[in-house]
Amino acid sequence: MVNVMKGILIKCDPVMKQFLLHLDETMKLGSKFVLVDLDECHLFVQPEVYNSLKNLIDEQYEKVYYNQKSSLE
Amino acid sequence: MGKKHRFYEKGKKRRRDDLPPDEDEDLELDGVPKASTENVEEDGDQKTSKDQYGAFDYRPHIKLKDDHSSRPLWIAANGHIFLESFSPVYKHAKDFLITIAEPVCRPEHIHEYKLTAYSLYAAAQMAGSTEDPANAQKPESEQANGENKDKDKDAVPEDITSFYDKVEEEEEEEGNMKTLSFEVNQDKIETLQKTCIVLDYPLLAEYDFKNDTINEDIKIDLKPSAVLRPYQEKSLRKMFGNGRARSGIIVLPCGAGKSLVGVTACCTVNKKALVLCNSGVSVEQWKQQFKMWSTATDDMICRFTSDAKDKPFNAGILVTTYAMISHNQKRAYEAEQTMNWLKEQEWGIMVLDEVHTIPAKMFRRVLTIVQAHCKLGLTATLVREDDKIADLNFLIGPKLYEANWLELQKEGFIAKVQCAEVWCPMTPEFYREYLMGKVSDQKIKLLCAMNPNKFRTCEFLIKYHENRSDKIIVFIDEVFALIHYAKTMQKPYICGKTGQKERMTIIQNFKLNPKVNTIFFSRVADTSFDIPEANVLIEISSQGGSRRQEAQRLGRILRAKKGAIAENFNAFFYALLSQDTREMGYSRKRQSFLINQGYAYQVITPAQMVGMDEEQLHYSTKEEKVHLLEQILAASEADMYEEGVFGERGGAGSQRKAGNIGSLSGADDSIYGEKRKGFKEGSSALLIQEIQLTLTNTDQPGTCVTAGWHASQVMFAGDSADPE
Amino acid sequence: MYGPQTLTCKNLQEYLKSLSRDILDRLYNHPATCLAVFRELPALSRQFILRLLFVNKPVAQVLLASWIPQHDAGRDVGDIAAEHRQGTQVLLDMCIWQEVKDQQGNMAIRLSSTFRENLKVAILGGGRPWTMSATLDSDPHQRNVEFLDKYAMDRWESVLQFLVQPGRGQKAISRDAMRTLLHAGLIESSGESDNMQITSAGFQFLLLDTASQVWFFILKYLETVTERGMSLVACLTFLFKLSFSTLGKDYSMEGMDNELLTFLQHLREFGLVYLRKRSSGRFYPTRLALNITAGQNKGIIDVPKQGNLIIETNYRVYAYTTSELQISLLAIFCDIEGRFPNMVVASISRSSVRRALLKGIGAEQIISFLKQHCHPQMYKLSSVVPRTVADQIKLWEMERERLEFTEGVLYKDFMSLHDFNLLSNYASSNGVLIYSDERQRTMVVTKKGHPSIKTFWKEEQAK
Repeated sequence: MVNVMKGILIKCDPVMKQFLLHLDETMKLGSKFVLVDLDECHLFVQPEVYNSLKNLIDEQYEKVYYNQKSSLE
Repeated sequence: MGKKHRFYEKGKKRRRDDLPPDEDEDLELDGVPKASTENVEEDGDQKTSKDQYGAFDYRPHIKLKDDHSSRPLWIAANGHIFLESFSPVYKHAKDFLITIAEPVCRPEHIHEYKLTAYSLYAAAQMAGSTEDPANAQKPESEQANGENKDKDKDAVPEDITSFYDKVEEEEEEEGNMKTLSFEVNQDKIETLQKTCIVLDYPLLAEYDFKNDTINEDIKIDLKPSAVLRPYQEKSLRKMFGNGRARSGIIVLPCGAGKSLVGVTACCTVNKKALVLCNSGVSVEQWKQQFKMWSTATDDMICRFTSDAKDKPFNAGILVTTYAMISHNQKRAYEAEQTMNWLKEQEWGIMVLDEVHTIPAKMFRRVLTIVQAHCKLGLTATLVREDDKIADLNFLIGPKLYEANWLELQKEGFIAKVQCAEVWCPMTPEFYREYLMGKVSDQKIKLLCAMNPNKFRTCEFLIKYHENRSDKIIVFIDEVFALIHYAKTMQKPYICGKTGQKERMTIIQNFKLNPKVNTIFFSRVADTSFDIPEANVLIEISSQGGSRRQEAQRLGRILRAKKGAIAENFNAFFYALLSQDTREMGYSRKRQSFLINQGYAYQVITPAQMVGMDEEQLHYSTKEEKVHLLEQILAASEADMYEEGVFGERGGAGSQRKAGNIGSLSGADDSIYGEKRKGFKEGSSALLIQEIQLTLTNTDQPGTCVTAGWHASQVMFAGDSADPE
Repeated sequence: MYGPQTLTCKNLQEYLKSLSRDILDRLYNHPATCLAVFRELPALSRQFILRLLFVNKPVAQVLLASWIPQHDAGRDVGDIAAEHRQGTQVLLDMCIWQEVKDQQGNMAIRLSSTFRENLKVAILGGGRPWTMSATLDSDPHQRNVEFLDKYAMDRWESVLQFLVQPGRGQKAISRDAMRTLLHAGLIESSGESDNMQITSAGFQFLLLDTASQVWFFILKYLETVTERGMSLVACLTFLFKLSFSTLGKDYSMEGMDNELLTFLQHLREFGLVYLRKRSSGRFYPTRLALNITAGQNKGIIDVPKQGNLIIETNYRVYAYTTSELQISLLAIFCDIEGRFPNMVVASISRSSVRRALLKGIGAEQIISFLKQHCHPQMYKLSSVVPRTVADQIKLWEMERERLEFTEGVLYKDFMSLHDFNLLSNYASSNGVLIYSDERQRTMVVTKKGHPSIKTFWKEEQAK
């Protein structure tokens, strides 16, 4: 039986993908959201997360950029 | 009364060497006027209302003058002043402003200055009192009640020109001013100074060396070959303007010839001179400078460092380091003798080189130990990373002169540098480790520094520039990374552990040997070396957001190149950043000082590094990259020790961490030894010959061996030579 | 589509192409329109028209084709053919000519007689006088160009000012203008009845140059014209006439019907014309009107605005202005730091630019705004916006483009490679396949494409 999943396809560069995986593992967005790790540049994630995802990614990225340790520990 | 009493007690305590730590804070403010702790900026900001955008609204306090279009200044409530550089009045205004205020930023069109307690201290010189500068500003400002003056063709309002004539007159003659003079008892001088400081009325110290019959002349002169550039002359004129030597600080960009200014000052005063610098190598450099520009001979210059201890007793000039004279530890007999002699001397002039790299405490100690009539501080920047509100500069004297980087560049006195930020993507594996944050901070730094893509970029840039016969220096703060980079690319390197002699050898080769075009440095080179012929600087890693470090590194390549055309770029500064890491954020901060001087950092993204994939570079395969990561993760803490701040061997406090096993066992040295052998192979005879050549040819300044390169711009994809 | 959309504006041709044939035909019933349209056509099209101007019969296509050399030294054959195609297609689209069969039954071209007649009049003269050209005695309240320019900019700026702060100054512009802004999607109501707020498109609009703004606005206005019970043709024709008028000259309102008079009133409000009062019987076109149709590709007779921004390499922006509007515009993508009586200190930072990017404004728009308004002092440099600053703004925009999101449906764990290929090929041919990996037998299609894939799959299973 073919498995069918609804969600969002994210395409990005390999480095950004690592960042998203990191957010997923550390549950920075509240819960795990990655459904399938497709390849170096693609991820398939839960649809519910979409609205909050982009903003939260922005926020978390800012923190890495400016090295605010509190968020990464 | 009570105040003075307390003050005397403190003074006595200061003489002791063993101070308990909690007393430090109070002591730091000792000798510094209380007014300097007031923050005009903050006060002004608090009092100013804000508009709907959250901006400070200065409009209610200010009225425009009628002929405001011909006046170039705006003054804000927080002491910040904006100046139009394209105004016909610019020349007058800028000279005035640089004397009384600190520059905040000076790019192409509009400059910003700010008034601080320290800057007004300097202003006090100009008009004789702290009241006058405020009055002086009014004619030029665009605000305040103005009379309608007719604009003549040159659009320089009359009141401004007449004011300036008056000021210039005052500087030269003291005819119109009534001067009162009285003599003070010798041992009460210090008391007098301190009392005045408490009264918020800091005294200006001037040394009348011409009429000082007590201290002997040391009989040195400037050589005729020493030609001063206009800005060097100007700064010295500010110091010696009225025939006496004023104490203070001269601010010149790195590579603009600070040492010549120092040497000239010593020759002018012509009394015993003490020069303090950062490291053993700087001591050597200063000695060279003295011999090059003045008639001082070897026996007249005494070096006092851990490596070189000349006999001081007949010397007119003593060159030593801050660390050397301010540490508390027990000294060897001879060193102790020299120290005592030093303390007893009445120095005519004390030159403090790179005064802003020294920690406050050490700085104070030096000032307590040494008795000097006149103090000259030399530095490239007054910016301290710790942003102390109370300014220790008061302990030296006011700012005498500050040059404008952009102007010096335009006039060809310093190289025209193309600054670039090169973004190097992390590899996914490296980035993963970085994000996880499970490793120590030191390893995080290593991950950013040893990012394989960064390595490749560095390799590529080195190849590119070596092909153009450029001389390249590469900075890497982390020693582990430094050694790795240098070994893999087979280039020489210098770090804290490197002995004095080896350093000199490597540097001589860099200068003279066409086969040696790249050197890798650790932080030890931030302040000490002087490498005129380098024109490319690559920064692999650095110390956080330190603006000072960035400016100083830039200084390594700022020396004007012979035969270069001022308009073209003839020096290159690359900051390599690992993308998506904190290096990106730090970089912004680091650049801020230089950007305020008018520099602009071009960003070069991976897409623009044309031709990199075709080159033969290391780490082209994923396996190699992963392997490197493993090596880093496997490295023990001991392997990665951070070297001491001043790189002084045996210097106190230079190694804070517990002993490094590697170095104690000599393991590191053996690696280095290997390196040396390989490096000298086949050319050792030539090397030695050349070194001997240099040592005897001390009269000739080093010449640029690489005759092959031309001044030209680096072109990257997306660059267009045409203006928009 | 995710994220705010970019503001797009049709140019004159595109707009006209969108109109019905009937309307176009009525439009072409006036020389001004024909001439205006003619000017905007590609060179080749104009050539064709001129040659056909005096030919009343249909002309065979082959004859037309013979006018163009198939080969030209130095030019690619493909390029020549493309130019030919483009030149003929636009004339078709705009109903200037039609394809018919000629007497021999060959494919031929016939120029629209309405267009032909009116263009002839425009080029050669004659025909009815244009309404506006009735002679007038000299105006006791003569207005000069300077006055007109100021008037036009004041009026136009009040529209912009309203956009910037829709909450205030609601009385400053008329309901008609507000209606147009709403229709154009530049403002939207924010739930509460009276409160409007600017949209992302509105921000982008604010940063455009004046000529583009006016054109866009008028276009949107025209779209609402029929709702108001006015005739599109009459308005458009009038606009075209206006665009041929002379700046500084007054024109008669004689013979204008009520509809047209209303239109004129609206134009007055937007600053395209000036009239002292309705009863004066005359009006003056302003520069804004003249630019309406001339402004698209050719040079703009723009108001010689003195730019007032200085942009430094240290990301500071100094604005010599007291105009609240200017400052509001700057505040969209800069941090305003200090206000002096005649100058504003601002700076561009990563956060201020991102603020603008989040509102849907593009880096190019910001840079173009800065270029438009730069101080004469900046012209001495090779690039008026320092290159490092421009590059950085673009880089900040690129940062946000590193992730691409698409809603979709994933299929995996296919039993056989055959099944996988079947489905992925089908999806691909339908243009809905957005990811596919044969080795993993995993594929993703768009959300919209899923139902049809599902159906297809079911059918296949049933076989």
